[in-house]
Amino acid sequence: MIRRGKPSSAIHANMTPMIDVTFLLIVFFVVVSQIVDREAVSMDLPKPDRSVAGVPEETNCVVVNIVPSEEGEIAGFVVGGHSLGVNALGELTEIVRIRMQGGATDVHLRADRSTKYTHIHQTIEAIRNVGTTPRLQLVVSGEER
Amino acid sequence: MIRRKRSSGMIGLNLTSMIDVVFLLLVYFMVATEFKTAEESFPMDVPLRQGGDTLSLDNEPLVILVESAGSGSNDIRVRLEGPWQPIASLQELSKFLRSNRVSSLANGGLFAPSHPMLIKPTKETRWEHAVSAYNIVVDAQYTNILLDEPS
Repeated sequence: MIRRGKPSSAIHANMTPMIDVTFLLIVFFVVVSQIVDREAVSMDLPKPDRSVAGVPEETNCVVVNIVPSEEGEIAGFVVGGHSLGVNALGELTEIVRIRMQGGATDVHLRADRSTKYTHIHQTIEAIRNVGTTPRLQLVVSGEER
Repeated sequence: MIRRKRSSGMIGLNLTSMIDVVFLLLVYFMVATEFKTAEESFPMDVPLRQGGDTLSLDNEPLVILVESAGSGSNDIRVRLEGPWQPIASLQELSKFLRSNRVSSLANGGLFAPSHPMLIKPTKETRWEHAVSAYNIVVDAQYTNILLDEPS
């Protein structure tokens, strides 16, 4: 019985460019993933028609997120990365105060477009209780350019 | 001259496991990466409490009442407190504010750009409607704008 021998030269793919591209992609994603704002909670921000809002300056700021629930109600707050309950307005004030003492100048207020104004107002009042004069930034969705 | 014969067996690097790991990392970062959406903001100064809870303003502010009539972005009702002409829409509010602003280019006008504008939504007003009214006042080039307690 005659056996056919295997071809001696195996086909090799040149892996070098593929590895180059793959490493480039990894470096890209590693760098870009650091850009994500970890303090911001994902929500449907207001988007006024013909908005004249400006891009907020890159200052030392504290972000106050009003976490939306159903039908304009709220589920709590996320302030400077700390999750708080609906009734924890005193703690919200304390966190903002500490961040202001640490050099923060602006307070970014982020709320869902459907949130009832009564919740927004009580949050602004809690920020007013800090005692200093923070500049409030009412955050809205940016224009798609 | 004696030439040394090269060894026939080359040292080969097994790339399979490295490529596995690299692709795993790539997939992880592709899934985990979340791009920050473009955000803008309206600056608003928060007045300090001075004795009481009420805001103390030098001039009598123009009070703009804002109410939600539905869940759509245009389902908004605005009116002015006081003896002013009725306002039916944000466009009319914009026209009123622009035509009554004291300007160096035109004679007349009732409100200086620094005149206090008090936006007063109801408790049930959607945040987007309050912000839309705020946007109209900023667009009309007024600088002293406050959000009041809900009516």
